[in-house]
Amino acid sequence: MFWRILWRLLYASRSRLALAVLAVASGAAVCATLINLDLDATDKLTREFRVLGANVVISGAQNGDDAATLDAAAAQQIEDLRLPEVVSVAPYLYLSAEAHAGANSTAVIVAGTWFDEAARMNSWWKVDGNWVSGRDNRSDCMIGEQAASRLGLIPGQNVTIRYAKQEATLRVAGIITAGSSEDSQIFIALPLAQELAGLGQRTSVIQITANGSARQIEDVIGRLSAALPGLQVRPLHQLAQAEGRLLEHIRGLLFGTVLLILVLTSLGVLAAMAGLALERRRDVGLMKALGGSVRRIMRFFLAEATAIALAGGICGFVVGIGLSEWIGERVFAVSITPRLIVLPATLALMVLVSLAGALPLRLLGRVRPSDILRGE
Amino acid sequence: MMAALVQVEEISKTYGGLRALDGVTFDVRAGEWIAIMGPSGSGKTTLINILGGLDRPTSGRAIVDGVNVGTLGERELTRYRAEKIGFVFQGFYLVPYLSAVENVMLAQYFHSTADEAEAAEALVRVGLGDRLEHLPSQLSGGEQQRVALARALINHPKLILADEPTGNLDEANEQIVLDLLRELHRSGHTILLVTHSPEIGRMADRRIELAHGRLMHIVANVT
Repeated sequence: MFWRILWRLLYASRSRLALAVLAVASGAAVCATLINLDLDATDKLTREFRVLGANVVISGAQNGDDAATLDAAAAQQIEDLRLPEVVSVAPYLYLSAEAHAGANSTAVIVAGTWFDEAARMNSWWKVDGNWVSGRDNRSDCMIGEQAASRLGLIPGQNVTIRYAKQEATLRVAGIITAGSSEDSQIFIALPLAQELAGLGQRTSVIQITANGSARQIEDVIGRLSAALPGLQVRPLHQLAQAEGRLLEHIRGLLFGTVLLILVLTSLGVLAAMAGLALERRRDVGLMKALGGSVRRIMRFFLAEATAIALAGGICGFVVGIGLSEWIGERVFAVSITPRLIVLPATLALMVLVSLAGALPLRLLGRVRPSDILRGE
Repeated sequence: MMAALVQVEEISKTYGGLRALDGVTFDVRAGEWIAIMGPSGSGKTTLINILGGLDRPTSGRAIVDGVNVGTLGERELTRYRAEKIGFVFQGFYLVPYLSAVENVMLAQYFHSTADEAEAAEALVRVGLGDRLEHLPSQLSGGEQQRVALARALINHPKLILADEPTGNLDEANEQIVLDLLRELHRSGHTILLVTHSPEIGRMADRRIELAHGRLMHIVANVT
């Protein structure tokens, strides 16, 4: 009987309820859009920021004999920690060397690193040719575009590197354009750099790319510091904090907008329900006279508000997902993937908003049947 | 002598400064048909409302089937109305978006469980077997009042309270409703009926006449 009466209630007030559904659907569309953007766009933007390189750097202790270098085993140790936020770990050993190609020669900074990790960490670098394959490749190198220009090199040609009395001739696999100091550097395999420098297993720094907000990155730094006593673990503040601030601002804006929309939706539902409450006064008075308890009668109206929320919520979700994809592409230039969690989240918010907006119907519980039957 | 189903003892009701009922006392035996008469503003509807648990007396006691209605809490009053009282109003008061049979089932639902077959049978008994699925707006006044009668009877109430049930009906429909009330009385139902009509008043076992909230006469009709 409950469902039968509920259906009759909904059908009888369909035009007035359609307004409430429209209000909820509009609110749900905006909420679904913003929640989906919050979940997907900020995640993708975080990843986009990550392609800008490392945001944590580890160096040796400031005082002591090995102040300038640290044991490269620390990089392996970090990989073994398998921290979920850590995307890439690349040790760098920097040497001030000379490079020769044919008749050309120039002083260059040679960076010994793990090619696979360096490529992942700097995926935004433009590469003419290919990345060197293999972490320990001793026959190939990557060269910055300015260094390549000075030496007149193109991919496939050889370059000879001299450091102290050591020498190595390598094939240029690719020319890098980074737009920064890396354009003047030559990248070789870490073991080869260590061999040229005669530094055993040492490295200058370890660079790390970690995902997450500024707070999460601080947390990663704390865990790394605890795992690597004696080493300095520092954020690359400028970038990490700017990223964090931007993401926090975007989230704050989305959250504030969702709150505002929820309040406006609630007011829209309230306006539609106020008229309905007046129409229903007589029915409620009669139902009470027939022995209907306030709780039982209110269940009809609360179920009605929930039905409005679900109908509006589902319509709004469909529109919102489309809208978030469009905004993602137009505003954030990222492709947005619909998240299924947005549906229950939107529906839950809309049920809350509808129940809040159904306040006039809840006030019907106070109707005195004798007043209604007297014709007041 | 049958025990009194309704005992009204020194009932008074005031609304602000207005005294709607003033020390009214009478008894109603089970199975009796009582007509409550009097001019407008004499307190007839107030009396019915107090007996039906829709209003509370300012002083005095209204005991129905052993229950002092004035002392019941909100929840107990709700159960009291569902279980002991069958209301018939002058304005029919059907739920406009429910069909005839659903209007009857609504009273069942608030009492215990809705039973469509039983509700339909109640409508057949008042001559509306072919109007089960009609909405109130598709029924004549007389038919709507018959639905209200079926609804009032569906939970087998101890007391039927009818407030001018024929007030909005034409002569033909008035006769149909009165015939039904007569039949109910014959089958042992206790009826308190508010009316302005002396003719209807004479159909009852006794007439209680009110004026300015006071009980003026209790007249036994000779049959």
